[in-house]
Amino acid sequence: MLQLENISVEFGGVRALHDVTLTANTGETLGLVGPNGAGKTTLFNVISGVVKPSGGRMMFKGHAVSGAQHTRARLGIGRTFQVPQPLHELTVRENLIVAQRFGSGRPADPTRIDLVLEAVNLTKRQHADAATELTLTERKALEVAKALATEPKLLMLDEVFAGLETHGKRLFMESLVRIRNQFHLTMIVIEHDIETIRSLCDRVAVLNFGELLAEGSADDVFNHPEVIRSYTGESKT
Amino acid sequence: MTNSKMNNRILVAAVLITTYVLVPLLFGGNSYLLGVVVSAFTIAGIAVAWALLGNLGGMISFGHAAFFGIGAYTSSLLAMRFGVSPLLGLLLGGLGAVVASLAMLPVLRLRGPYFALAILAYAEIFRILAVELKSITGGAGGLLSIPGLPTVAGFDLNTKLGGYFTIVTIVAVSVLVYYLIRRSTYGLALRAMHDSENATRVLGVPATRLKALMLIVSAFITGVVGAFNAHFINFLEPNYAFAGTWTILPIVAAIFGGYRTLTGPVAGALVIYLMDQLLFKSLIPQGHQLILGGLLVAMILFAPDGLVGVLLRKVKGGGDHATT
Repeated sequence: MLQLENISVEFGGVRALHDVTLTANTGETLGLVGPNGAGKTTLFNVISGVVKPSGGRMMFKGHAVSGAQHTRARLGIGRTFQVPQPLHELTVRENLIVAQRFGSGRPADPTRIDLVLEAVNLTKRQHADAATELTLTERKALEVAKALATEPKLLMLDEVFAGLETHGKRLFMESLVRIRNQFHLTMIVIEHDIETIRSLCDRVAVLNFGELLAEGSADDVFNHPEVIRSYTGESKT
Repeated sequence: MTNSKMNNRILVAAVLITTYVLVPLLFGGNSYLLGVVVSAFTIAGIAVAWALLGNLGGMISFGHAAFFGIGAYTSSLLAMRFGVSPLLGLLLGGLGAVVASLAMLPVLRLRGPYFALAILAYAEIFRILAVELKSITGGAGGLLSIPGLPTVAGFDLNTKLGGYFTIVTIVAVSVLVYYLIRRSTYGLALRAMHDSENATRVLGVPATRLKALMLIVSAFITGVVGAFNAHFINFLEPNYAFAGTWTILPIVAAIFGGYRTLTGPVAGALVIYLMDQLLFKSLIPQGHQLILGGLLVAMILFAPDGLVGVLLRKVKGGGDHATT
C-alpha cells in the first residue's frame, strides 16, 4: 500500500529523517516506535504532506505521491495528530461533515457520518462543541473519527493512547481493532507503550535519530541490541 | 418549524418591511436624511464584504478601498466611454474588482499583519495608477458627469429614493450570499480554518483556494458598492475613490456591530454613521469622530461581540450569536 524510499528531511541543516525506506502492506498494522525526537511524527508529516521531504520518493497504491497537502486525503491517507486538533467553532458532527465532504470529494453522506460516530462511540456527543465540550478521551475519539470520515485506506495514528488511563486505553484499543476490521484499514501506529504495540501491531519499525534502526516482528525488534541501546539512552556512535 | 426558525423569519420580514416600506414612507421626502442613509448603507455594503473576508477567509484587510475604487472607475468608464448601462455597470464594477483581487492572490500565503499590510500597499498602488493613467481615468482631476442609474419599469433609480432602494438591495443580496456561504459545507470548512488550518488541510480542505474564493467574493461585493456610489454621486477622483475612509469606516462599523455575526456589520454601519452624521456632528462640528473612536474602544473593551452580540445575549440569554 505505502512505500517510502530513501526519505530524508532537513530543517535548516538539522537532519530530522535520513534515508528512511519503509513499507506498509495492505491490511497490516505497522507500529512505529522510537525515543522522543526520533523522527516518527516527522515521518507522518511527510506521508500526510504537512512536511515536504528534501529527498526520497513516496509511492501509495502503486503511484508516486507529490502535490499539495490537501490532496493526500483524497488519495486515501488519513491521520491523527498527537495533540487532538478539533475543528474550532464546529460541533462534532460538523467536524465529520467537513472531513467527509473534502476528504472524499463527494457531497457529505449522513449515513457514513452516522457509521463513523457509532464506531468511535460519539453518537450521543455529535452536537457538542468539538473544541470546548469534549473530554480528552472524546477528543481522541474525534481525532480518529475525522480521519475515518475522509474514507482512508491508510490510517496513521499518532500517540492516540497518550494521556488515557488504563481502562480508557483498553476500551479505546478495542474500538480501534473493531474500526480496523470494519473499515478494512491499513494502519501505522506511533506509540511508546510496548505492550500496546505488541497487541495491536503485526510488524514494528524503530526509528532513532531520524534513521530506521530495525524492522520486523515485535519480538525480533524489541530484542534487537541496537533498539535496546537506543531505549536505554546510549547515543549512536 | 422550530420556534427559533420562526422567530428568525419574523425578524427578517420585519427588517425587510422596515427598510423597503417604512423608511421610504417616513423619510422619502427628506432628501438630506435619505442621502445620509444611502451613505450609511454604502458603508454597510463594504462592511459586509470586509466581515465576510475576515470571518470566513480569516483575513484582516486594510485595502478594501482598492476594490471600491476599482469598481467605481470600471463602471464609470464603461458608462462614459462605451455607453454601458450603469445597472449592468454595477456587476461589471464588481468584476473589475475581482480582476484586481486576482493580482492580490500571491499575498494569500501571508498571514495576520503581513497580509493586512500587503493589501494596504495594493490599495495605494491602485490609487497611484488612477492618478497617473490620465488618458484613461482623467488623472487627479477625476471624472465628471458620470451617468446616473437608469429608470427601471417606470421607477427612476437616479433619485435619492431610487439610490436608496438600489443600495439596500445590494446590501440585502450581499448578506444573503454571506449567509448561504456560511451555512454551506464550504462555510463550515472556512470557519474551522481560523484556528485549525493544518488540521483542515489534512482532511482535504483546499484552504488556500477557499481563502482565494472569499477574497474574490469580498472584492466583488465591494466593487459593486463602489460602482453604485460613482453612479449615485456622479463624480469620481482618485483621492476620493481610493480614500482610506472606504477601508476604515467599514472596519469600525463591522467591529462595532459584531463582525462575527451576519447582521452586525450592517447594524454597526447604520448606527455609527447615522449617529455620527445626525448627532455627534451637530454636537462637535470639528472632531466629531472622536466620539465614534471612544464608542468603538468601549465596545471592544466591554462587548467584544459587538452590538448584535449584545442584543442577542439580551434576547436569548446567551445562544449562538455567531450565526445571526
